[in-house]
Amino acid sequence: MKMKSPILLLTDDLLLKIISLLTDDTDRKSLRSTCKPFLHLDSLLRTHLRLLHPDFLPSLLPKLPSLSSLDLSVCPRIDAAAVSLLLPSAPRLTRLHLARCSALPPHSLRALATACANLQTLDLSYCTSFGDLEAAAISAAACLRDLNLDKCLNVTDVGLAQVAAGCPELERLSLKWCFDVTDIGIWFLSKKCLHLKRLDISYLKVSNESFRWISGMEKLEALQMVGCGSVDDNGLLHIANGCASLKVLDISRCDRLSMDALCSVIHGHNRLLELHAGYCFPELSMSFVDQLKDLKSLKMLRIDGARVRDSMLKFISNNCKCLTEVGLGKCRVTDTGILHLVTGCVNLKVLDLTCCSDLTDSAILAIARSCRDLLCLKLECCNLLGEGSLNHLGSHCRFLEEIDLTDCSGINDIGLKYLSRCSELVSLKLGLCVNISDKGLSYMASNCSKIRELDLYRCEGIGDGGLASISRGCKKLKGLNLSYCDGVTDEGMAYLSSLEELSSLEMRSLRNITATGLTKLAAGCRRLAELDVKNCKGIDDSGFWALAYYSRNLQQINLSGCAISDVGLCMVMGNLTRLQDAKLLDLARVSADGVEVALRACCACLKKVKLSASLRRLLSPQIIQTLEANGCKIRWD
Amino acid sequence: MLLLCILEIDAAFGCVKSLRHACRLLHLSKPVIAVLESPKLVLANSKLKMDPDERLCTETWAKSSSGLESLDTHSNNSSLTNFDRHQKKWEESSFDRHGVRTSGQQLSGSKRPFASDIDGQMQMNNLQGKQIPEAPNMQNWDPKAMLSNLSFLEKKIHQLQDLVQLVIGRRGQAMSQADEILAQQQQLITADLTSIIVQLISTAGSLLPSVKNSESLSSQLGQFGGMMSQAARVSDNVVHNNANKMEDHHDPTGGLEDHNMKSDDEAEEGENLPPGSYEILQLEKEEILAPHTHFCTICGKGFKRDANLRMHMRGHGDEYKTPAALAKPHKESSSDPVLIKRYSCPFVGCKRNKDHKKFQPLKTILCVKNHYKRTHCDKNYTCRRCHTKKFSVIADLKTHEKHCGRDQWLCSCGTTFSRKDKLFGHIALFQGHTPAIPLEGAGPSDQGQNSVEAANKVEQLDFGYKLDDPREDPATYFSPLGFDTSNMASFQEFPRHLFEDAESSFSFLLSCDDSPKNGRYAAPNDLE
Repeated sequence: MKMKSPILLLTDDLLLKIISLLTDDTDRKSLRSTCKPFLHLDSLLRTHLRLLHPDFLPSLLPKLPSLSSLDLSVCPRIDAAAVSLLLPSAPRLTRLHLARCSALPPHSLRALATACANLQTLDLSYCTSFGDLEAAAISAAACLRDLNLDKCLNVTDVGLAQVAAGCPELERLSLKWCFDVTDIGIWFLSKKCLHLKRLDISYLKVSNESFRWISGMEKLEALQMVGCGSVDDNGLLHIANGCASLKVLDISRCDRLSMDALCSVIHGHNRLLELHAGYCFPELSMSFVDQLKDLKSLKMLRIDGARVRDSMLKFISNNCKCLTEVGLGKCRVTDTGILHLVTGCVNLKVLDLTCCSDLTDSAILAIARSCRDLLCLKLECCNLLGEGSLNHLGSHCRFLEEIDLTDCSGINDIGLKYLSRCSELVSLKLGLCVNISDKGLSYMASNCSKIRELDLYRCEGIGDGGLASISRGCKKLKGLNLSYCDGVTDEGMAYLSSLEELSSLEMRSLRNITATGLTKLAAGCRRLAELDVKNCKGIDDSGFWALAYYSRNLQQINLSGCAISDVGLCMVMGNLTRLQDAKLLDLARVSADGVEVALRACCACLKKVKLSASLRRLLSPQIIQTLEANGCKIRWD
Repeated sequence: MLLLCILEIDAAFGCVKSLRHACRLLHLSKPVIAVLESPKLVLANSKLKMDPDERLCTETWAKSSSGLESLDTHSNNSSLTNFDRHQKKWEESSFDRHGVRTSGQQLSGSKRPFASDIDGQMQMNNLQGKQIPEAPNMQNWDPKAMLSNLSFLEKKIHQLQDLVQLVIGRRGQAMSQADEILAQQQQLITADLTSIIVQLISTAGSLLPSVKNSESLSSQLGQFGGMMSQAARVSDNVVHNNANKMEDHHDPTGGLEDHNMKSDDEAEEGENLPPGSYEILQLEKEEILAPHTHFCTICGKGFKRDANLRMHMRGHGDEYKTPAALAKPHKESSSDPVLIKRYSCPFVGCKRNKDHKKFQPLKTILCVKNHYKRTHCDKNYTCRRCHTKKFSVIADLKTHEKHCGRDQWLCSCGTTFSRKDKLFGHIALFQGHTPAIPLEGAGPSDQGQNSVEAANKVEQLDFGYKLDDPREDPATYFSPLGFDTSNMASFQEFPRHLFEDAESSFSFLLSCDDSPKNGRYAAPNDLE
């Protein structure tokens, strides 16, 4: 008979209260895996569900009464049938995530939008084939407040007008990469959606005229206009004179703007909180820096790519004391400049100093001393930094969560030992740090158990020993890059197989890995969703069979340059029913027929495939048509 | 740009009518000629080439025609008491408009405003050179169109010059010419001059939209705008005979709108040459409807164009191959003061027929042909797209077919628009209206249909195994591939654990087969 645990003697109410205190997803997961009563309780509380396969829908939805948010973006195939399963529980949904669901026909999208009477948030990003018909379909969701149409490439002004007319409550709208939207669409949007608070029109080919209309949006708080190359100062001046509620402005990569126009924007909006102006200007002007003094409450300033003089940073630090995030990537700032900056801006949490290669340890010392709350520090390509920098960081910045030390050749094992005192680290990037070895990694692993992302790209000193310590210390590791770490062998893979959370692994050109290693990895890391084994020539078919058998959560795979055969490829592509993205270049042992069969086996779930251009003539036109009809994008390389 | 230019010219023709009335009222008195003379000054000021000879002879003509001694004051700064505010502001202007002003003073009270209009226009012309660099926002002002207008004017003035020279020459030969002929010649010249003036006014009038757009222009410009709008009104037939009325119109924008909204047709309608100033020709119906107008004198073959006929003639002998024979027949504009030709429609009762009470002649043979076909013939050409629109002129059909269907912007209420912005204006105006998405030719957004088609095509494919419907269940058609288990010896060594779902731990919801089916490898399949 079953032993009843004493905790189950508590009433459901009390248990629910306890469970609701669990915030971390993995904790909740272990809870519901414990026993059926816990599972039941958890399902009562559950509001959000991210599904991996639509076939679970009919069985799951009735069991989750409080479900209001559904994410189907990683499902391999969402089509009319899947939507029909969803319809009965549609009315309680308020959030729906349908990114990359290109296979959804307009009529079922309309049915869904009509059924979801309370839908407030809808994400259709990267449904690249979506156009006006789909936009018209979603306009049936009248209460929609948040809509993401990023990269819905065929949406034109007509589709936008449908949405604007159908969803007047819209508050957040993203039209990034909807290249066919023009001024007239923006005009109509400004006429109909009066509650718009956040608008993203990045990379649209709209002209200054659009900004005249946008400037009339009284409630607009955030405007993202990254890479709007047709806009010049006159457009920005419209913004300067309008958009009374503007708080966030992103004009990154708009290369026709001048500093003067930006100055007038600042002059018009002195309550601006965030200003992103990366890669806009070759150099900061003194008048701009002077104007910044109006922005007393500015929290975020990104001016990547612009040359900044030390005196300017001093001025900024004296006036914008609230700054928590500063982006100075490729600004070529000096130690003195950083010293000036951090004396005033002591609240900095995020600092991006990518490619500021003149910085030395003294700059990092200044940062570490002043900014005790630092969370994220990006130091890619700061070659002069040595172990001293990491010593300062380790002793002062105890809250550091993210550090990027890619290509900092001065980093060595001792440095890592110092850095390991930052025990809150979540993301650590050590790519191209050739001077680190297993020893350094073991310091990190022993102290930083929260690391989720680790980049060891081309760290040639890393071998199996390092992986052994990581697998012991960093149990939460989700993403790992081991590409070109030649020292890693099958033994290292065996260590990695104990990382249950590992979902993304990049291991290009690991010549010493064989089928045995891959088999162990696949059998252990069952959550693996992204795998890159490009040019791992040592793995043969038996390894891929294991992959096909175990790694059923695999969504992306790069098999380019592998010694896989026709049969192996068919196994992988046919068995992995959640596979959505496959890169299949340079497969020496695979014939065109083999690729054809493999593609047939998975053509319904694939969303993206990369094939060698020579196959274009060898594959049957039918399979290509079927793939494209299912919303799959084929890239011929 | 070209269109603008054409519009200007049309406008010029359109306003001949009203000016003509004004001229008639004046009985061609001296001051008007003085006024008519003024465009020359403007041209000279616009740095267009102008021979001193030409100027001389014009003046000679002016003197000799009716003894306009006062015109000599063009080049002198005659004492003037009656400066108005514009003149003060434009003192630096390089040309001398005092002469014109003087002549304006000689006008009767009713004529004076007219002169001041031209004055304003000249100032505008001057302004053009000065204001443009300061006001880069004048987007509508098109220098190219202006240049083409001006060169057109220059050409016209040259023609007129030739004509006047001829008159002078003849007068010198035969002083005993009848007064009638003299009057006729004078009338003719006056008509030409009038049209030149009108064109100048409308050319300067093209500056008006830019006046409207440019916010930076001061109030003085607004006043000029007002002046110009008056001029525009003249050309628009808003004010017909009564020059006095022009004084009342001091609303710049109103005049502007009138000017802008004028269409080509109205301009054509507006042409009103005095009877007798042109020769009326009337072609017969058969002639109008004949497909060819140029016939080979040797073989009788017909051609639509003279150029084609000339090309054809080469085949009839070497004498037709000379450059002279192949060259375009030269228009003998200088030799004969040919009467302007106008055409009458042979259809009795038509307004374009010469017997009609309010006869309005047609300008060219092409106009006659198009008019006759459009108005008095059956519409035999039906649009192949919509099958409803009919046309009698094939060019009209082609124009329509270019736009028929394809560029139809449709609203959900069923209204169609030729232009996208018109549709959007409409849907913005009416609550609940949305742009309708055309079903045919929807292209990439019409995915559903395409995919079904593609899937059907795949069905026909014979690939060794049967594809039932690739869209129904893709995983099933992998299974029958028939991999033999003997090839998979190593595969069976793997332990078969319960499948665990990474995200939601639904492992117990899934049944994963632990044993191979029927001695064959069965794909471990979520769908089972």
